[in-house]
Amino acid sequence: MASRTSTVGSRAKRGLVSLGWALGGVLVAILLWEGVKVLGSIITLPFETSDQAMPHVWSIVSGAMQPEVRGSDTPVWQTVLIAAIYTLVIAFGGFLIGVAVGLLLAIVMQRFAFFERGLLPFVIASQTVPLIALAPLIVGIGNRISIGPFEWGQTQSIMFIAAYLAFFPLSVGALRGLQAATPTQVELMRSYAATPRQALWKLRFPASIPYLVPALKVSAAAAVVGTVVAQISTGGRGGIGRLIIEYARETTAQPAKVYVAVIGAVIVGLLAAGLVALLDLYLTRNLPKETLT
Amino acid sequence: MKSKVNAIWPPILLAALFLLAWQALVVIQDLKPYLLPAPSLIFTTFITNLSLMLETGLYTATTAVLGLLLGTVLGIVLAMVAQRFFVFRNLMIPVAAGIAAVPIVALTPILNNMFDITSRTPRVLITAIVVFFPIFVNVYRGLTEVPNVQLELMRSLSATPRTVTRVLRIPNALPFFFTGLKVAAPLAVIAALVAEYFGGPQEGLGSKIASSAANTAYGRAWAYVVVAIIVGLAFYLITLLLERVTTPWAGRSRSA
Amino acid sequence: MSTLAVHAEGVWKIFNEGANNEVTALSDVSIDVGKGEFVSLIGPSGCGKSTLLRVIADLIPPTRGSVSVAGVTPHEAREKHQYGMAFQQAALLDWRTVRRNVELPLELAGWDKDKRKARALELLEMVQLQDFADHRPWELSGGMQQRVAIARSLATDPEILLMDEPFGALDEMTRERMQNELLRISKATGTSVVFVTHSIPEAVYLSNRVVVMSPRPGRITHVVAVDLGERNEDTRESDAFYDSVTAVREALRGRATPVGEGGARLAETS
Repeated sequence: MASRTSTVGSRAKRGLVSLGWALGGVLVAILLWEGVKVLGSIITLPFETSDQAMPHVWSIVSGAMQPEVRGSDTPVWQTVLIAAIYTLVIAFGGFLIGVAVGLLLAIVMQRFAFFERGLLPFVIASQTVPLIALAPLIVGIGNRISIGPFEWGQTQSIMFIAAYLAFFPLSVGALRGLQAATPTQVELMRSYAATPRQALWKLRFPASIPYLVPALKVSAAAAVVGTVVAQISTGGRGGIGRLIIEYARETTAQPAKVYVAVIGAVIVGLLAAGLVALLDLYLTRNLPKETLT
Repeated sequence: MKSKVNAIWPPILLAALFLLAWQALVVIQDLKPYLLPAPSLIFTTFITNLSLMLETGLYTATTAVLGLLLGTVLGIVLAMVAQRFFVFRNLMIPVAAGIAAVPIVALTPILNNMFDITSRTPRVLITAIVVFFPIFVNVYRGLTEVPNVQLELMRSLSATPRTVTRVLRIPNALPFFFTGLKVAAPLAVIAALVAEYFGGPQEGLGSKIASSAANTAYGRAWAYVVVAIIVGLAFYLITLLLERVTTPWAGRSRSA
Repeated sequence: MSTLAVHAEGVWKIFNEGANNEVTALSDVSIDVGKGEFVSLIGPSGCGKSTLLRVIADLIPPTRGSVSVAGVTPHEAREKHQYGMAFQQAALLDWRTVRRNVELPLELAGWDKDKRKARALELLEMVQLQDFADHRPWELSGGMQQRVAIARSLATDPEILLMDEPFGALDEMTRERMQNELLRISKATGTSVVFVTHSIPEAVYLSNRVVVMSPRPGRITHVVAVDLGERNEDTRESDAFYDSVTAVREALRGRATPVGEGGARLAETS
């Protein structure tokens, strides 16, 4: 118990050190940004460095404080924050559905070789094709579906896309994990006359964690990227993706706005990665460091 | 031979069943193309517009290839820098880890502002940034995760750091590089396609899918999606082929 | 002095000196290895035998004490490729053929291509792997891989071989074959050998002297001289062999008379 808390403690400490370096990295990026602007004012660079194309860091900050539209009292940052949270919630919903379906499929594929042979090639191939290209079409279909009193809207379609993208990497990782138990361990379970269900809970699930964790990370990333891109490609209302598109059209009037929205999208991604990192810390608390990927 | 046949028929059978069910659903339910076009309609649209399809696919594929090359070169060079200099490594590694879930394509409007939006340049650059991270992370791992005993061997042979890089680290990193490339190549196609949604030239798959859908030309939109799938698969398969040719030892258990 | 292959005097190695996780891996260790001599280092885990080997090889510096290898400092010996080293893992490079693996030390020593190739083939013939020159390491069995590693360690025709449990991962039958092969090769080339092992019979069978070490702090406790004459099929079953095995075992248990201040100096045993 003591050693367990100390490993978690030391991992948390290393995390803090990394965070410090990451903040240093952000500082370096800001300095580079401003440095490039200064350089651009002296010599001709192959790209635009004017205040409109590359606003000063402080202009972006003050732009975030200004009202979203003239006369309104909601500042830009607040609109962006709400859109970011909304996007994160949709992505999270998609992630949960994707994980549930992916796990289920992995269990089925592990138990029945026919499904593994039939489905796995598609699961792998689908990770290599730009399924996100389907987003506008799925939203198009979704807008015309209604199940009883329940109206299937844009939000549901976008969550569906997120779930769809999250599900593939998870099912592949989970299947590899469920097959990761060694033959000796499986024989041991047989020698105990364990039922398949017992073997699943006592052996296959715990043994799958080193494979499951990276798969969860990829899935979470896929859900977030899928949600934002779906919002971009379909103009999904309320989300950060739509906001980026809208604000990009307003660069002449308020060049800082689009930057605030882009930063919002970046924060959504970082938050999602952070949440999965916490999940990782919890799932791998009993594992030796070397087995972690 | 028999095992190969056994490995091939289940996916083919399932694919055939899936397409049949799709066709049957559309025909029996009499679904309108705007809801779901039949596979046969998608196929005929694809064939009758073949040259346009290829041209559009080629535009996006070119963006993807240019971005992939640029991002790969950058990723390899910076991974080598990170392996040599710890300050750079400490700055880059947490950024590379944190950025995994960031929708990098959302940065496209910024590049559209900085570079000529009417050119291919912002799209290539955003693709390069997307490609950069998986390449950087994997090549860095390959350069640093060298078995200790091999490092000791190199030291016992009094090899210079430069020689260790050439003889040991770079060959060791090759399989890792391909792991990264297998992730990056399909991502390049996705990035090149999505970057087209932010305005600019209306030539690529992303632009055409969006405009076909907006003009209710659904058969055509789906046909473009098929082209996108073909391009994505082609990128992946070419990467696999390159891997087989250049790293025949990859996937083998390391010699004990 | 110049006839000694290895000369170590009062060597200390303290890891994390001054910190609260300080470990004394070597405590006042002295050892001489004569030219052409075969010396084994044996002892439980943590006794410092691998550390001593790494100090001799200049893979790590000693905290205190002096070491010379073939009459020069370990650093110079390493730079001049005067010793060859083999590890528990064969540590072959998967992307090179067997022959190119053997060529590696020659490449780093700046040999030209044709000479390199000829020498590598000669060495592969010595370990009876000439037919596998163009194979990849992963196509070979563990014993064959270790033979390649030994051929590689002999490539620059070094005066000294430093071996860190090279047969530790092999099965007993392969292991005995490899031991015979190593004895044959070291005899034919006149190479001195410092050999780290966990196995008492292995140490006895191979060595002129067995240096027994003990942990916490790592130090030399006994030196057992072994005189079995020419090794052959019957050696492993001879009474003299068993007597030496017993002597080493007793020493490991701490029941024999320990060595004095001088450590494993040649003078005390011969």
